[in-house]
Amino acid sequence: MQSQDKFYLLVKFQNIGFKVGSPNSEFYLSQFSTVLNLLPSHIHFSIVIYSAVIAFWRKPLEMVQYNFKKITRVPTGKDFVDIVLSRTQRQTPTVVHKGYAINHIRQFYMRKVKFTQTNFHEKLSTIIEEFPRLDDIHPFYGDLLHVLYNKDHYKLALGQINTARNLIGKISKDYVKLLKYGDSLYRCKALKVAALGRMCTVTKRIGPSLAYLEQIRQHMARLPSIDPNTRTILICGYPNVGKSSFINKITRADVDVQPYAFTTKSLFVGHTDYKYLRYQVIDTPGILDRPFEDRNIIEMCSITALAHLRAAVLFFLDISGSCGYTIAQQAALFHSIKSLFMNKTLIIVCNKTDLQSLDGISEDYKKLVADMKSEAMKTLVGQGGEPRDGAEVLLTMSTLTEDGVIAPRDQKERPPCIPQVVLEAKAKEAEKEKRKLEKDLEEENGGAGVYSASLKKHHLLENDEWKEDNMPEILDGHNVYDFVDPDILQRLEELEKEEGLLQENEEDDVEMDVDDLTPEERKALAEIRKKKSILIQEHRIKKSTAESRPIVPRKFDKDKKFTSKRMGRQLLSLGLDPSKAIERVRSKSRGRKREGLLIIRTLMVVMIWMWMIMMVRTRR
Amino acid sequence: MATRLRFENSCEIGVFTKLTNAYCLVANEGSESFYSIFESELADVIPVVKTSIGGTRIIGRLCIGNKKGLLLPHTTTDQELQHLRNSLPDEVVVQRINEKLSALGNCMACNDHVALTHTDLDKETEEMIADVLGVEVFRQTIAGNVLVGSYCAFSNRGGLVHPHTSIEDLDELSTLLQVPLVAGTVNRGSEVIAGGLIVNDWTAFCGSDTTATELSVIENVFKLREAQPNDVANEMRKSLIDTLA
Repeated sequence: MQSQDKFYLLVKFQNIGFKVGSPNSEFYLSQFSTVLNLLPSHIHFSIVIYSAVIAFWRKPLEMVQYNFKKITRVPTGKDFVDIVLSRTQRQTPTVVHKGYAINHIRQFYMRKVKFTQTNFHEKLSTIIEEFPRLDDIHPFYGDLLHVLYNKDHYKLALGQINTARNLIGKISKDYVKLLKYGDSLYRCKALKVAALGRMCTVTKRIGPSLAYLEQIRQHMARLPSIDPNTRTILICGYPNVGKSSFINKITRADVDVQPYAFTTKSLFVGHTDYKYLRYQVIDTPGILDRPFEDRNIIEMCSITALAHLRAAVLFFLDISGSCGYTIAQQAALFHSIKSLFMNKTLIIVCNKTDLQSLDGISEDYKKLVADMKSEAMKTLVGQGGEPRDGAEVLLTMSTLTEDGVIAPRDQKERPPCIPQVVLEAKAKEAEKEKRKLEKDLEEENGGAGVYSASLKKHHLLENDEWKEDNMPEILDGHNVYDFVDPDILQRLEELEKEEGLLQENEEDDVEMDVDDLTPEERKALAEIRKKKSILIQEHRIKKSTAESRPIVPRKFDKDKKFTSKRMGRQLLSLGLDPSKAIERVRSKSRGRKREGLLIIRTLMVVMIWMWMIMMVRTRR
Repeated sequence: MATRLRFENSCEIGVFTKLTNAYCLVANEGSESFYSIFESELADVIPVVKTSIGGTRIIGRLCIGNKKGLLLPHTTTDQELQHLRNSLPDEVVVQRINEKLSALGNCMACNDHVALTHTDLDKETEEMIADVLGVEVFRQTIAGNVLVGSYCAFSNRGGLVHPHTSIEDLDELSTLLQVPLVAGTVNRGSEVIAGGLIVNDWTAFCGSDTTATELSVIENVFKLREAQPNDVANEMRKSLIDTLA
């Protein structure tokens, strides 16, 4: 009894259409308590323990997601064999000798056969388990897969895989039994080869099925993830009546819109928010009015969605007839598929009113529209409502952006009168629509993975031409950005100013000097300058010649240019006593003395200590 | 109205984006359609910049900014810094700071006038925040969490904080911030507010798991639509009752 109550409560919640398991559910519960008051008293108990129930049920509830992207790749027959055999080779022992005990040899080969069989079994089982069973999934997906891939073919392929799995199991069993009687290494090996060979043959035989399943897997991964249990709006109607334009208006689905029939070839999903509730909007391919058997796969996708999804249906009616079908034809389609609208909210949308207003159509057509309206009213009965006059089952609208083509009646102008504010708002809106988004650019330039947007194109620089300039990161071994200074120009200016000031001062000084000098002083100055320049020149010459040849040490001074005698002469000419200097220049070697040795040793020890201390410090 | 979206199947969009009144940063190497959502909503008004910080995409958690400035962690490369300086208007000061707690977005939250920070932040960093962002800085915790940046989101008009924040704390915080605050959740009960919600004075983006109730709370507290609170409640009730029927 208790568990039934829980179940009831959950079912109730699911129908209400929100997911449980958040702090908000408390809020919801308070909202719904009025409803729950009407329920028998023992259910109140289950409200008290709702958190436990929710915790328990949350996972399974959220797990029902129809996403076929996770099926693992199905290898082709040949790859399959390669994968399994190489795995056997890698993961079982490879060395066996004739001299081993026969039991050991049998074990060795039995293990190989069994291992191969398990691998085959595992791989085939994943395929069988991962592909959805058409009978177990939601009937919408069941039928959609049937329409797209043909149920029989699909089941046959999976059945073949299953058979192969069983066959391989049987082969392994037989050969393991035979191996028990193998009496030599050679025979055992032959048996193993035969067993593996037969398993591979079986796998190769299911090659076409594997290829077919791989194709289906790729297609299924691209199916839109439609949640059959959520709030849904389904858009249907004849081809080219403006279904895709509508979904593009209300969602970000971005379905391709073209002015020809059957632009939309499969189901498309978009999501939109309205009054805080999220709606899943499904765009279906157009349907033609013809017998069920004649319908093609594209149309059948729509029919499947209509038949199985619990959704509010918008039936699009092109009242201008610009889609190529008259209202009469569209009404005929409506009546032929109206059984699919049972128990669903149905709204008839008269589209393209900019080309043709609803009041302007002929009496016959008006009658047809009225008929459809009354049918739509009837669907309300199925949902427990009453057909009443005020029910909004008929909408008129236009999804076109361009103005309709209207033949001019006369030359008189009839300008609209809209307040300026509204116009501004509208202009803004229009601008927004016109803006080319990065997404569009990506689409134009090769799609995701090919297009790569430049990060620089939105830079706000003084000159737009600078945008694409390349900036080196490392130059001459330095990080360029360490030297970047935003105020560099300002600082340069400051520096230049400073330098200018300095130069001015200097110039002033020099002028002053020259003016103030007496003729003698001027002569002296000229002499000083001359000598200075000569000295500089000499120095330069010396330097350049010194650089061009190696510097010769004194002892290789063959010309004896730099002797102590010469130095003595020079010193004497300057009026100095050269004797001490000459003595100092001469090399001196003193005899070793006993008492000096001890001092030298202690000194050395001290020096080594100091050196070690220094080394330790520098390492730190 | 707040927009619901997700980044590569993750609802924690606040991790990958940063929104202020003067600019919006979006992680690069994401899908163009994610970027285009921001572009279509914001690019007419403020620059929407694709960037990485320190080579990662979790830019929302690494940087902090308002209309006056943007602070980046020390992990930011020179090139990224230059890119941001080039992309943002000159009024926005972009500055890299040497702070040990380098996930600045987690450690602080700010609007154009006030900032809340982690309690262990450096003194220098605090001064830097005050200078660059032009805000008063308060060292605070939110519901006992030191990562103030993760557990709250506020604009100049309102704020949302961790659901376990006590009434006294709420009072104290709203006195500091001078904006009305509400304790709430995003992303179907997630308490990491800044992970699921980015907001400025006129728009908000939140993770696609966010429920209608959460959304209405967000729109109310951030005053995203110019409506009386009563109207919103009525509208809410209407949509809920509608579903019940």
